[in-house]
Amino acid sequence: MTHSLHRRGSIDSLQNDYVVLITPAVNINHKESKSKLIEILDIVKEIGPVNIGSYDCGNIFRGATIEKIQNTLSETPRVRCVFDSYEKVKLLVAELKKRDYGLSVTISGLIDNIVKLSRENDIKPHSINLSIGVYGKVEALPDESVLNLVTMCGHGMVSERLVKQAVERVKKGTWDIDKAAVEIAKPCHCGIFNVERAKQILNKNLKK
Amino acid sequence: MQIDKDLCSGCGLCLWYCPGGAISLNGKKAEIDQSSCQECNICYKIADCPKGAIKQDTVAYEYPRSVRTYFSDPMAYHKDTLVPGRGTEEVKTNDVTNRVKDGEVGICIEMGRPCCGSTFTEVEKVTMALVELGIVYEKDNPLTYLMEDKTKGTIKDEVKLQRVISAIVEFTIPQDDLKDVMLKILEIAKEIDTVFSLGMITTLQEDGTIPIKNSLKELGIDYRPNAKINLGLGRKIS
Repeated sequence: MTHSLHRRGSIDSLQNDYVVLITPAVNINHKESKSKLIEILDIVKEIGPVNIGSYDCGNIFRGATIEKIQNTLSETPRVRCVFDSYEKVKLLVAELKKRDYGLSVTISGLIDNIVKLSRENDIKPHSINLSIGVYGKVEALPDESVLNLVTMCGHGMVSERLVKQAVERVKKGTWDIDKAAVEIAKPCHCGIFNVERAKQILNKNLKK
Repeated sequence: MQIDKDLCSGCGLCLWYCPGGAISLNGKKAEIDQSSCQECNICYKIADCPKGAIKQDTVAYEYPRSVRTYFSDPMAYHKDTLVPGRGTEEVKTNDVTNRVKDGEVGICIEMGRPCCGSTFTEVEKVTMALVELGIVYEKDNPLTYLMEDKTKGTIKDEVKLQRVISAIVEFTIPQDDLKDVMLKILEIAKEIDTVFSLGMITTLQEDGTIPIKNSLKELGIDYRPNAKINLGLGRKIS
């Protein structure tokens, strides 16, 4: 599905937000892909994502570790993680290209940055999923300050109310920004919720 | 989901986490509105109820209520497609599957996203309206399995009132049809009692150009500066 696609926010706020998905195609090249993904997870670990997770054991803020993710990969395994650094993603892509696993790699982020990263790695991207917008009963949506956070979990597992409660707790001094960002990240099982970006958004929202 | 009222202390923690807003406090006890509950399991898996009062309901895995679970909890796998989540592998493996080919546009209308959720009654409004244009729905998308008649876009009766976090109406069209389809989508948007997020997939041209850029511009539609890009590192099939 399109869970890493419709992230909201300004260009400035999306500068350091790169979701990487490595996906074997079911019934085409998923068989025997597990060992490749275990190796890829070792590379990911070395480079250092800000979050990572899996459907099978949740994200790192719920106790998952890369070792646990490796040990619980399903028969149709996938790697999902998020980075907050252009250089790190560029390095990861260079490594994936060099090792030529033959598995599909997608990056969600600013188009211009991914095009640049691809060019620097001598890669011609194959296809794109564009985010065209939200339609229908848009008056029912929360304001942008909330949407910028909840849309970092594309499965919609982060509730609007959790974001509002987290902000209230920070205002009261019960939680600091780091704790609030981590709490909001917990429901995103896949681990593509960028906690570093969340801290920046929360800081900005609280200054308003 | 169910709350064991004997165990519930009424702390209200679970209310924060429910994406569907289905939990409320009644007489200092948490209560779940079963029609609003999307069976996403977030309250059970993440809220860490201090009293262990949140219980999974076996009915959540029995059809038709199971539809809520499979479309709302990404940890639940669809047994027919083997693909977790609510859609297909869409652009994620397009370099291998060629699901969306040169000259085509893959359309993903994600009903209920963000924040609002959707029933399949709302989904059906979209699927029935689009078949008028000769749309053929993506066969591997779990939503297609819930259709009574794919040629009419009708959804099975027992599923219509099931509420889910989101469901994706997915299909592919020739790029030449984009204008007609987009106008229809904009028309349908006025009729629904929820929201949808719209995604469009195309292959990229040799020089990296997005082939539908001008068509969207002519329609006065902007796409966001962030997108999901398949780098083309997968092994291609013919």
